[in-house]
Amino acid sequence: MRDLMLRAPGSRFAIHAAVTVAIWAVLTWLNGSIEPQLSYYLALAAMYATAMFGMTILVGLSGQVSLGNGALMAVGGYVFALTSMKWSTVPIIGVPWNAVWSMVFAGLGGVIAGVLIGALGARLRGPYLAGLTLGIAVGIPTIVNRFPALLGGDEGLKLIVPYPEGGYPEAISQQEAAEQVPADDAFLDEFLVEELPADSATSAPADSGDLLTPEEAVSGVESGDLLTPEEAVSGVPTDAPTDAATDTALVVDVPADGVDAAAAVGSDFVLQQWQASVAIAVACIVGFLAINLVSGRQGRVWQAVRDDPVAAAVVGIAPAGAKVSAFVVSSLFAALAGAVLAQILTFVGAGAFGLGLSLSLLVGVVLGGRMSLAGAAIGAVLLVWLPELVDTVSGDRGWPDQITNNAPNLLYGLLVVVVVLLAPGGIMGAVSGGWARVRPQRARETR
Amino acid sequence: MDTFVNFFLGGFANGAVIALMALALVLVWRSSRVVNFAQVGQAMFTSFVGLTVVDLTGSWILGLVIAIAAGAVLGLIIHFLVMRPVRRADSSGAIIATFGVLIALQALAAMIWGGDPRAYPTPVSYSGITVFGRVIAITPYDIFVIVAMVILVLILTIVLTRTKLGLSMRASAFNPEVARLSGVRVSRMLAAGWIIAGMVGAVAGVLVAPTATLSPNSFDIFLVFAFTAAVIGGLDSLVGAVTFGIGTGLLLSLVTGYSDASNAALVALILLALNLWFKPEGAFNHHKARSV
Repeated sequence: MRDLMLRAPGSRFAIHAAVTVAIWAVLTWLNGSIEPQLSYYLALAAMYATAMFGMTILVGLSGQVSLGNGALMAVGGYVFALTSMKWSTVPIIGVPWNAVWSMVFAGLGGVIAGVLIGALGARLRGPYLAGLTLGIAVGIPTIVNRFPALLGGDEGLKLIVPYPEGGYPEAISQQEAAEQVPADDAFLDEFLVEELPADSATSAPADSGDLLTPEEAVSGVESGDLLTPEEAVSGVPTDAPTDAATDTALVVDVPADGVDAAAAVGSDFVLQQWQASVAIAVACIVGFLAINLVSGRQGRVWQAVRDDPVAAAVVGIAPAGAKVSAFVVSSLFAALAGAVLAQILTFVGAGAFGLGLSLSLLVGVVLGGRMSLAGAAIGAVLLVWLPELVDTVSGDRGWPDQITNNAPNLLYGLLVVVVVLLAPGGIMGAVSGGWARVRPQRARETR
Repeated sequence: MDTFVNFFLGGFANGAVIALMALALVLVWRSSRVVNFAQVGQAMFTSFVGLTVVDLTGSWILGLVIAIAAGAVLGLIIHFLVMRPVRRADSSGAIIATFGVLIALQALAAMIWGGDPRAYPTPVSYSGITVFGRVIAITPYDIFVIVAMVILVLILTIVLTRTKLGLSMRASAFNPEVARLSGVRVSRMLAAGWIIAGMVGAVAGVLVAPTATLSPNSFDIFLVFAFTAAVIGGLDSLVGAVTFGIGTGLLLSLVTGYSDASNAALVALILLALNLWFKPEGAFNHHKARSV
């Protein structure tokens, strides 16, 4: 029965769509029912997951260890920032410029960067590619210093994102909060994202925290964002014009939806929840694209080329093309994640997209399981949750800051080594390996 | 012309350090076919060890000696705990593991010594020499660095070409099976490669620490420089690593001098990209860098 379902044309697509919608619905409900600060973490996790779906494809399936994805996120972030700020008044195809257009352009920027890097990198063996992308991770962010007028130099750029009506006061307080974060060059650049909630927590509750019952929050998110999954998918370039009207509503205003929705957005707007809803929507769209690519022909092509390029060439696959396509797909995802990160931070700067970000993407995808998209999602949660866990533990034990702040990275580094040595499939690999021992037949099928 | 000469001379010392770090990468690559991306992490860590010794005893030389010893120990530990077991994993695994070691070392150093940049003392003056009434850009310390590099390269050359250890190392790098059949204990030679690379890296770290302040991340950029130099040199060639390490240092010094220090990483990236595009196997190598 299961076999028949999977073999019917389009059924895999339908199953994936249904699963994606379900995940989106659960996450959206979750986003509506938790504290703003937890929504912020949810947004971060969704953003990491978006980037790491691309890492799964690039590092796991196509076997190209790349550290460049943090720099590619910078491309997405800066394109988003520039297009949303400089062209905010330019209509395209009759639709005013908004965050969706900027996302589209960020994605395009990522694709172009991916083609360029892929064309160079896909010809290289493992360590050479890793070294080249290391250079990209270190070198590309320094470009912002070349064009200080355009890219803001070391200071970075502050975003003016078109939030829903009523969202501006808090957006501004968030920006101020972002400014107060010291531009430190700490290792995994999570300092930027780690310290924000604390800052915004001091400024936010007075505006918003008291007004939120979970029900209101849910209704606000659902009616305000108008994100049915179909529309969410339309955020992808191909469908954009047809659903443009609803896309506009997504980020600008909701006049058509009547007083209730407008009131909900107006008074109960919580920046963190709005950011999380954007991040979740993008992660779901990207995850949907990724699962269809990975489980279809292209996924097998990538793995075939990874395992044996010569054999793949013999059966008519162009190895170079397959490797470049993995680069392009992962750059697209990275750029979209970068655009989301820009919206979460309401800021883009070289420091936020440095080597630390690239390394944390690699850490997350390796720990979660570099062969599986679910592993990427687990890794994304781990990247956000582990520092919090360490913080709690150290708070109980009274560790000094110097220990607490660096313990997550020490854990990451050691865990990466342990995972590579003992469980190359990461958490997902360990779980599905255990599953295979329990139910060998089933596991073989779903693999 | 004057400034050109100054930048050129200043670049030599920088190049000497890059050459040593590239040498460390090449030594590990030759012995175990792994690019050790944790190299700068080891160098940073041992420099902190050296700095601690200097702070305690006041002796720069003792700091260097202890740092070198720490480099040897660290190289040995990483080889036995991580890189030897990892050979069973896939090829991506080894690369990822070196990054894991890098992350862990940097976090550990930040835990022990804090994240703030520290100044490392110099054994000789670090201000420009006056020649015929003009201050030129080369300092006594630069000369010291260059001399130290030359001595170290000479020692390495003698060890690798004139001793039984060096011969065994080269044999096991060249053909492990045949070497093993001839009675060379290949796994010991791998360990020797990591130990020697750790020591060379430690010297490079101590030498560069006074010019670039010492912090857990301050050597990251040198990983890019050293990798660029090692790859252009062929990744397999000691001569190549030294030649192009110095060459890279000179070029970056000119770039820094004529434009801005923040351009150096970008120029190194362009250099690396051009090299990998046109001659990926490097100048002194016949192994293939490309797979398809």
